[in-house]
Amino acid sequence: MAEPAIFFAEVNERQGEFHRRAFMLGGFAGLGLTALAGRLAYLQLAQTQRYEKMAVSNQFNFKLVPPPRGLILDRNGAVLAANRPNFRLLVHRDKDLDTDGTLKTLANFVPIDQDRHERLLREISRAPKRAPVSIMEDMSWEQFSAIHVRAPAMPGVTADMGEVRVYPHGGAFAHVIGYVAKVNKEDIKPEGPNADPIMLHPGFRIGKQGIEKAFDLDLRGRPGAQKVEVDANGREVRHHTEGDIPAIPGKEIQLTLDVDVQNRALEVFGEESGAAVMMDCRTGDIICMASAPSFDANRFVRGLTGAEYRQLANYERKPLLDKALSGLYPPGSTFKTMTALAALEAGIDPEGRVGCGGGMYFGGRYFHCHKKGGHGMQNMRDAIKNSCDVYFYSVALRIGPDRIAKVAREFGLGQLFDIGISGQKKGTVPDQAWKARYFRKRPRAEQIWYPGENLSYGIGQGYLQTNCLQLAVMTARLANGRKALNPRLIKSIGGQELPSGAAVPDLPFAAEHIEYVRGGMAAVTEAGGTAFRASQLGLGDILMAGKTGTAQVRNYDKGGNRGKGGPWRLRDHGLFVAFAPLDQPRYALAVVVQHGMGGSTAAAPRAREIMRTALLKDPEIRARIEKPMPMPEIAPEIGESVPDETINAPGPPQLTPAAAPASNTPPGVPT
Amino acid sequence: MTVSALTRPGERDRLIVKFGEVDWVFGLTLFLIAGSGALMLFSIAGSSWDPWAAKHLARFGLCFAMMIMLAMVDLRVWFALAYPIYGLGLLLLLAVEAVGDVRLGAQRWLSVGGFSFQPSEVMKLGIVLALARYYHGASADRARLSWWLLVPAAMIGVPVLLVAHQPDLGTAMLIAMTGAAIVVLAGLSWRIIIAGITAALVAIPPFVMFVMHDYQRKRVLTFLDPENDPSGSGYHILQSMIALGSGGLLGKGYGLGSQSQLNFLPEKQTDFIFATLAEEFGFVGCVTVLAFYAAVIFMGLRTAYVSHSHFGRLAAAGVMATFTLYVLINGAMVMGLAPVVGVPMPMLSYGGTVMLTVMIGFGLVQSVRVHRYSEVTSGKGSLV
Repeated sequence: MAEPAIFFAEVNERQGEFHRRAFMLGGFAGLGLTALAGRLAYLQLAQTQRYEKMAVSNQFNFKLVPPPRGLILDRNGAVLAANRPNFRLLVHRDKDLDTDGTLKTLANFVPIDQDRHERLLREISRAPKRAPVSIMEDMSWEQFSAIHVRAPAMPGVTADMGEVRVYPHGGAFAHVIGYVAKVNKEDIKPEGPNADPIMLHPGFRIGKQGIEKAFDLDLRGRPGAQKVEVDANGREVRHHTEGDIPAIPGKEIQLTLDVDVQNRALEVFGEESGAAVMMDCRTGDIICMASAPSFDANRFVRGLTGAEYRQLANYERKPLLDKALSGLYPPGSTFKTMTALAALEAGIDPEGRVGCGGGMYFGGRYFHCHKKGGHGMQNMRDAIKNSCDVYFYSVALRIGPDRIAKVAREFGLGQLFDIGISGQKKGTVPDQAWKARYFRKRPRAEQIWYPGENLSYGIGQGYLQTNCLQLAVMTARLANGRKALNPRLIKSIGGQELPSGAAVPDLPFAAEHIEYVRGGMAAVTEAGGTAFRASQLGLGDILMAGKTGTAQVRNYDKGGNRGKGGPWRLRDHGLFVAFAPLDQPRYALAVVVQHGMGGSTAAAPRAREIMRTALLKDPEIRARIEKPMPMPEIAPEIGESVPDETINAPGPPQLTPAAAPASNTPPGVPT
Repeated sequence: MTVSALTRPGERDRLIVKFGEVDWVFGLTLFLIAGSGALMLFSIAGSSWDPWAAKHLARFGLCFAMMIMLAMVDLRVWFALAYPIYGLGLLLLLAVEAVGDVRLGAQRWLSVGGFSFQPSEVMKLGIVLALARYYHGASADRARLSWWLLVPAAMIGVPVLLVAHQPDLGTAMLIAMTGAAIVVLAGLSWRIIIAGITAALVAIPPFVMFVMHDYQRKRVLTFLDPENDPSGSGYHILQSMIALGSGGLLGKGYGLGSQSQLNFLPEKQTDFIFATLAEEFGFVGCVTVLAFYAAVIFMGLRTAYVSHSHFGRLAAAGVMATFTLYVLINGAMVMGLAPVVGVPMPMLSYGGTVMLTVMIGFGLVQSVRVHRYSEVTSGKGSLV
């Protein structure tokens, strides 16, 4: 019998030891579990709020919603820039997104060719995580709904409805309003309003030109947010409508422009190049500011192709250039109004006559008058009426450049105006100090103002450069006669009216002198005046006064065709400044037809059409025109009726036949 | 009919009597834990039995049946199989070293006829059985302080090193700690216990810095400062703590846990299921489930306490020690008190392997309970 290895005493000892130790194990387990419960109490009872916050920030994301961009309206509330719905197809990167396959699937619904497919692949792979890339804009309803119902099965694909900017009048306001376009990398700034995360939203557009650019922050509004529940991969699980923050629409901007006048201005320019600016002579409001030819701003919103852009940029007549503000032209004979006023202010008797024999010698050079045979003896009124160069040569010689420049500047030439948008070119109103400054790097002899330079200055040539807006301001101030009106383009922003252009000091000139110049301008459109034929409004006793101008593009000393033909870019500019009605001026207008040759043939007929549109829209003027006349008179013989070659004037406005005075019937209309 | 020490030996061997001797309250508590697990799995699947909840319950049912069957196995059979199972475990670990599959960068799996399993799981049970078997035949003196202690040290050391080499540090530590627990329960001298704990504490920092694999070290460092890298390796811990903390006292409500439902919580159905529970049922739910675990541990240790054989005592206590370690390690990990190691919450987490291992262990525990009066003799004919 083998000896037992363990005896009872030992067995009891082992058992006792185990019992103690097992009790300890139980104690250890109990302690451990209590410690866990304590930790739970700390996390779940003491720290709940902290972790709740973290859980919520995990669970919910706020998705930015671009705000509706503010509308841009004309002075009567007609919409010039609006938003329309846009069905978009977006793809954003997702953990489970097979970009290539998804694009191939999408190609069944929307056109994606091989080229585009590859470009989109690159774009999606480069885009920041979860930033959607636009696959297609402006889908049809069919395309939209076809993709929308399938989107939940395709990770990363969304079809949504955004808004896109639309300019209902196409090109008419393209230069003033500008356009919006996609945000570029350069647009995003590290701070300030352009650091806003909405800039990264694929549906967001930023103002790139004109009003859209200058007032971008006003028009932009404040983005809203959608409260969406997301999972750990950032996919949207639910949309919590009650947590949405509504977007605040951008401010509405009302312009002083009039949609009809503006459209008419662009229409009468046709393919001609130039600008027309009309101002209200009582308030300074800009009624029309057109630049021709124009372009369709809607194309820029969609994004131009390279070829489209090149076509616009390389066209000789520069459709992208705002000729109303940044085109500089010598004012030509329209400037004679300024020379005349400077002469009156210098004490020259307007009734004093100057003989015109077709030109004059000065400093060994012969200065032509535009009329070869000469105008004969001219007083100031005649000289304005006939645009006699010789008269103004001699007047300018007598008063010198500084007096002329003072008047020109007071009337807005060579000045910049705060109209809200950028792009104005200042131009040049020269005087002796200017010349010395301008040529300070040249020899002394070139810095001196020579009397010979007065001659061309007097007829609006030489160093003189103005833009179309300045000419309109000049005309408006002349027509107003008293106030140094400032132009105003923005009527109100978000309902906040901007200060009127009439809250300005008076012009520092004698009222009767301005009155005299206005009389001269009236004579221009009278029988025998340079613009008689082209400036008959056909609106009864409502008459238009004006001043023609033909500005040389180059020096014709060497002879040649004097800018009346030849290559387009060498032809003369045609200008016309006008105001109407003559008795109670309401509207002042400046028209520049670039390389249009004659002021009276190219600019004045267009000015007449623009002016007619403005006048006929004015209720007070309409009331005057439509006032019933006692009895139709027997039509007197119509003077020279020259049909208008440049543009087809429409028939007379809707006047009652009885109300149409025969003497004012426009030429070419049978009576 | 209840069994006592005075019940006739033949009477105790009747199956129906054995059946009545199973601790059914213990079984019910296990069901409550597994049921809580199924409840959570149903919730995080978006109120669906698929893919986890139904399978979890089915597995539990099968494992429970197996536990009862194992409880019927005579303790002497367990005793006889103790060394063979341990030996088989060692062989399998060596085999995995030679031909095992590499999954997730670690060589842990062995495939046999289209069926793959981790040999380290066999070793979890094997170490308990083998040590209990060894100490059954060892005197109190030998167990306290003697050169004989090198035998259990080697029995623990060899499998631990093999598992650590796979590398599966979590399981290796679990095996080591289970073994250590049995050695301590068997009556190890306090001097060695204290010296061992001290040595372990001193060894941890150099071990972390020089022996661990990069990913393991990263986990440990992340644990020390989870918010250092919230989207990287600190993500698990942080998201788990957010789930727990945001649950509050009563939780967000069943099926309403944003962290788990929206997948912020990683491994939500397995290692981090406790966080899901915490989020949806709050402190109250958590403490309830912890109480279930406490009850299971208490009942298991009581079984060990009442066993008449030293083998039975140590085997049952060893299984309960393993189970306790599982619960404490997973709990500490989920609550941000321990590094992320792949230790699931037993019975609550979804996963067949752990469920199987734990339930086989509980089968042994119940066998100890059913056969608490049995005489277990060693080859040398020693008593009880």
